[in-house]
Amino acid sequence: MKVSTRMRDNPIQLPPLRQGLWPAFRGVSPAFIAAFGVLFVTVIALFTAPYLGMADNGDFFRNIYSNGIYFNLPDYDSKYFGYFVKQYGIFQYFNENGATLDSSQSLFIKLATLLNKLLFSSEVFDIRFQAAIYTCLYVIAVYLLIEAITWRMGRRQGMIVALIAVFIFGDTGYTAYFNSFYSESIVMIMMIFVFASWLLLFRKRYNDYAMLALFAVSSLILTTSKQQNAPVGIILAMLAVSLIWIRKDRVFRFLTLASIFLMMLAGVATYLNISKEFVNINQYHAMTRGVLKEAGNPETSLKAFGIDEQYAILKGNIYYEQYGTVDVDSPLLQENFYSRYGFVSILKYYVANPDQLGSILNIAAKSAFTIKPAAMGNYEESVGKAFRAQSHFFSGYSLLKQTLAPKTFGFIILWMIVVIGLYMPSTVKAVRARDIRGVQRMVLVVATMGVGLSGIFVSIIGAGDADIAKHEFLFTQSFDLVTFLTLSSVISRKLSPGTRHSAGSPTRAHSETEVQKGVSA
Amino acid sequence: MSNTRKTLFLLVLLVLLSVLEPPAGRAQAAAATPQVLLLFDSEAKETPREGNIKELERLLAAYSIKVTVVSLDQYEPGGMAAYSHRITVINAPDVAVTNRSYLEDAGNYKGQELHVGYNPPERLKQALKLSTDIMHGGSAGLSAGRLSGASLPVQEMPYITAAEGKKDYGRLVFQSGGLQAPYAVSAGRYTYVPYLEQGNVSVLAMAGVLREWLGSTAMPQTYFVLKEIYPFSDLALLEETAERLYEAGIPFIASVRPVFSNTDYPAMLRYLEALKVVQSRNGSILLNAPVVMPSISGSDDTLGSKMSGFVDLLVKNGIAPLGIGAEIYWAYDKEYAAAGMGWFDSAVLFPDERLMHRERTNRSTAFESSLYSLPLEFLQSLRTSGKVMPAFPMDTAVTFNLPADEAGLAELLERLDGYWISFADYKQEEHRVVTDTNKVVSSRGSITLNGQHLNVDYSPRDQVSDNYQYTEEQQKSFTKLFNVQNQFFIVVIIISLLFFGGLLIIGYRMYRKKYLK
Repeated sequence: MKVSTRMRDNPIQLPPLRQGLWPAFRGVSPAFIAAFGVLFVTVIALFTAPYLGMADNGDFFRNIYSNGIYFNLPDYDSKYFGYFVKQYGIFQYFNENGATLDSSQSLFIKLATLLNKLLFSSEVFDIRFQAAIYTCLYVIAVYLLIEAITWRMGRRQGMIVALIAVFIFGDTGYTAYFNSFYSESIVMIMMIFVFASWLLLFRKRYNDYAMLALFAVSSLILTTSKQQNAPVGIILAMLAVSLIWIRKDRVFRFLTLASIFLMMLAGVATYLNISKEFVNINQYHAMTRGVLKEAGNPETSLKAFGIDEQYAILKGNIYYEQYGTVDVDSPLLQENFYSRYGFVSILKYYVANPDQLGSILNIAAKSAFTIKPAAMGNYEESVGKAFRAQSHFFSGYSLLKQTLAPKTFGFIILWMIVVIGLYMPSTVKAVRARDIRGVQRMVLVVATMGVGLSGIFVSIIGAGDADIAKHEFLFTQSFDLVTFLTLSSVISRKLSPGTRHSAGSPTRAHSETEVQKGVSA
Repeated sequence: MSNTRKTLFLLVLLVLLSVLEPPAGRAQAAAATPQVLLLFDSEAKETPREGNIKELERLLAAYSIKVTVVSLDQYEPGGMAAYSHRITVINAPDVAVTNRSYLEDAGNYKGQELHVGYNPPERLKQALKLSTDIMHGGSAGLSAGRLSGASLPVQEMPYITAAEGKKDYGRLVFQSGGLQAPYAVSAGRYTYVPYLEQGNVSVLAMAGVLREWLGSTAMPQTYFVLKEIYPFSDLALLEETAERLYEAGIPFIASVRPVFSNTDYPAMLRYLEALKVVQSRNGSILLNAPVVMPSISGSDDTLGSKMSGFVDLLVKNGIAPLGIGAEIYWAYDKEYAAAGMGWFDSAVLFPDERLMHRERTNRSTAFESSLYSLPLEFLQSLRTSGKVMPAFPMDTAVTFNLPADEAGLAELLERLDGYWISFADYKQEEHRVVTDTNKVVSSRGSITLNGQHLNVDYSPRDQVSDNYQYTEEQQKSFTKLFNVQNQFFIVVIIISLLFFGGLLIIGYRMYRKKYLK
C-alpha cells in the first residue's frame, strides 16, 4: 500500500525502477518464472492461513494407518467430506494395521513423517511437512516441463507460456491435493515428470541418461501410486519402446529396454497387488454403477455374464448408501456375483455393446474436466466456513475448465484428432528423415492421451460411475498437459512464424549437439 | 357442603377412570419389569471371557429387560439408585476396583445384586458364606438342568469352593481330581456366578440363573429361524425349503432382507412371490435389519422411511412381517432403535458381527417379544439326558442360514429331525408392526392386516412379466417433422455429392486434356 502511494506520488521514479528490474529479469528463463510463480501461489495457498487442503472421503484410513499415522481427533468422523484436517497422531507403539494397500505413496508419507519427527514432533504429524515435500518436487517438475516446452522459443513467447503455466499448474484445484493423503498428489507430480523428461529427450535439452533415469523412476512411482494406474505402466512401457532407437550406443539401448521391462512389471504387479476390500467395492460398482446402470434390460446383461438375473435389483446401487440389502463383502456376492466377472469380461461386454459404452462414456465425460471434486471441502473447521466449503483462491483455471469444456466424449475424440493432426506434419517429416528422436513428441502426445483415456476406461470398467470425478484425475491432468503443449506450440509458431524449433529436425542448433557430444555414439 | 360435593365428585371420577382404564396391558407390564444396571470392569479382550458382556446384554434382552451398561471407570455417584437390579461383571482378576463412588454406592445398595466373575465383594461373601478359588487349567464339564455341554477348556476359571446359599444352579465338574462345584449360588438379594463365557453351555446356565433372578414366569418357547434370505438367493430352493419344513411339521421364521430401491422390477416381484409361498407354508416373516455401510456423510436420515416403506410394500403384497431381526448393537443405538426398530414390538436379536453405530447409547431398547438367538451348530455341543431337547430357559431362536443347495437342505432336515426339538409357531404369540399407513397384528396363529384377516394361502399371480420397461422412453415431439427433415437432408447431401463428384471428374478431364497431352 505504502509502495503504491509512493509510486503514485513520485511518478518520475517509475522508469528507473522498471529499468532497474528489467535487466534482472532478462537473465531469468521462462521456466524459472513459471516455477517461481507456481511456488509463490502454492506457498500462499497451503502454508499461510487459512490453510487449504482436502477433506477426507474415507480413503485416508487406507493410506495412513499402515504408515504409522492415525486420526487423533475424537470427532474425526464428523469431518469426513466437510473439513480439511491438518494434524494427525503418530503411532507410539506397535502398529497392528499391516499394510492395507501397498503404494509408492508410502515412501512420501514415511519421508514426511521422518521430517516431521526431526523438526516438529514425534507424536503429532502435521500434514504440511508432506505438502512441503510435494511442493518442492512439483516446482522442480514444473521447471523441467516449461524448460522443455520453451527451449529455443522466443523470449516473449516463452514468457507468455510461463504465465499460462502458472495459471494452469498453480491452480489450487491441483495443489490443494498436497495437503491431503490422496494419491493424486503423486500422480500429478510424477505425470509432469514423465511428460517433461520425455519432452526433454525429444528436445535433447539435457543429458539423455539423466532424462531416461528420471523418466523411468517417475513412471515407476506413477504406476505404483494407485491400483487404477496399473495400465499406465503398460501404456508407457509400450510407447517408450521407440525411445530405444533415439541413440545408437548399446548402453543406452540396454538401459531403455531394462526401464521398459521394469515399467511393464510395475504395471502387472500393481494390478495383482490389490487389497481385497478395495477390489470388492470397485467390483461392486463396476457392475451396479456401470454395466447395469446403462443396461436397457439388466437381466439380459446379467445373463451375458452368467449371473442370476435376480441381481438386477442391485442396478444403480452404491456402496456409500448407508443402508443396503447386502454387505459388499458378503460370501453370497463373492460366490455368485464377483466370481462371474472381472476387468476383462466387462471390457468384452462393452465392446459387444457399444451403445451402452457410448452412453457411459458420456457420463464419464461429464466429470472428465473436473480437477477439484466438489464433494470435498477445502478448509479447516476452525476457519468457520460451511461444511464442504470450497476455496476459490487461484482456481480460475479449474473453474474455467469445468464451466467451458464441452462435456461429451465426442469432444474428447475431436480434441485428440485435432492435436494429433497438428503434430502430424512434423512427425511425418521426422519419419521420412528416419529421425526417431523427432517422432518422440508425437509418441509422447499419444502416450499421454492413452494414459488419460486409461483413466476414463479404468474408472468405468473398474468402478462404474461411482466416485468418477476423482477417478478421472488422470485424464483431466493428461488433457491439461497435452493442451498446454499444443497451445505453446501454437503460440510459438503464430507469434514468430520464422522460428523453427523441432528438436527432431536435422538442422539442430550447434549448441544442442555440443551438449550431447560426449555421450552420443 | 360444597367441599363434600367436590370430594364426592372426585371419588366418582376416580372410580370411573379406574373402570374406563384399559385392561392391564403390556405397557403396564413393561413398567413393572426390573430395571437393570450392568456394570463391568473390562471387556476382557483377547481372553476366553471376551464377549461375555455382550452375551449378558443379549440374555437380558431375551427377558424383555431394559439395560443400562456402564463401565466401572465411568460410574458416577448415585448411578445405581434408579435400578432395581444390578449386575457387576469382574473380568480382570488382578485389577482392584478403585472407583470410590461405585464402592460407596454398592455398599448402600438395597436392590438385587448379581456378581459375575472374579473378586466377589465382601458383603456378598458374608451373605452367601462364600469361598472361591481359581482353577488354572485343565477342562471341566458343566450341566444346567437337563442340559450339559461338551468339555470346557479351563483357563484361570473362578469357582465356588463353599457356600451356604439358599439355592445353587447347575454343576461344574473338573476333570482333574473329580472336583465338583455349583455353577452359581444365591440367597436373599445376592447371587454369585463365577463363570460366563460366550458360545458354550455356560450361556444357558446363566440364562437359567437370570430367569429366577429377574422373576420371569413366562413359558419359554423355541423357534426356528432361516437367515440370509436375499432377493437374489436361490428362490426356488427357498420355496422348496419352506415346503419341506411344512411337510416335516416344523413352523419357522424367515428373516428376509429388505430392498429399498428398484422395488418395481420383475426380480423384486419374484422375491415377493417366493415370500408369499414361504408364508403359505407356515413360515412367519421377520424383517431382517438392512446392512449398514460405512457412513460418508453421517447425515442419512432415511432409515425410518426406508424401513416403513418396505413394511408397506410387503403388506401391499399380502405379506405380513411380524418382527425385526437385528444384531444386538441396534438395540443400543438411538437412531437404529427408533428409526429402524421402532415400527416393531417384536425382535430377534442376533450376535454382533460388525458394529456400525450411528448414535450409540448405553441404554437398551427392550421389546415385548424378544428372542435370544443361537445357531443350530450350537446344539451339537449340548448333551441331553433324554432324546428330546429340553426347553431353554428363555425364548430362543435357533438360526440357520438358507441352504445353498439341495444337499444343504437335506442336511438341514436331517439335523432338525435328529434334535427332537418342539419348535413353536411365531404367529401364535402376539406381535404388532405399525407404520403410518399399515398395521399388522398376529395373535394365536391368526394375522390381521389393517384389521382384515390375512389368508396366507398362496395363489400364484400371473407369471412375472419379463417385458418390463426399465428405462422410461423419452417423450418425443415433432417426430414426424424431424423425420421429413432427415430425409430431405439425406437427398440434398446425395445430390450434392453426385454434383461435386461430377465436377471433379470434369475438372480432372480438363486437367488431363490441358497438361498431359
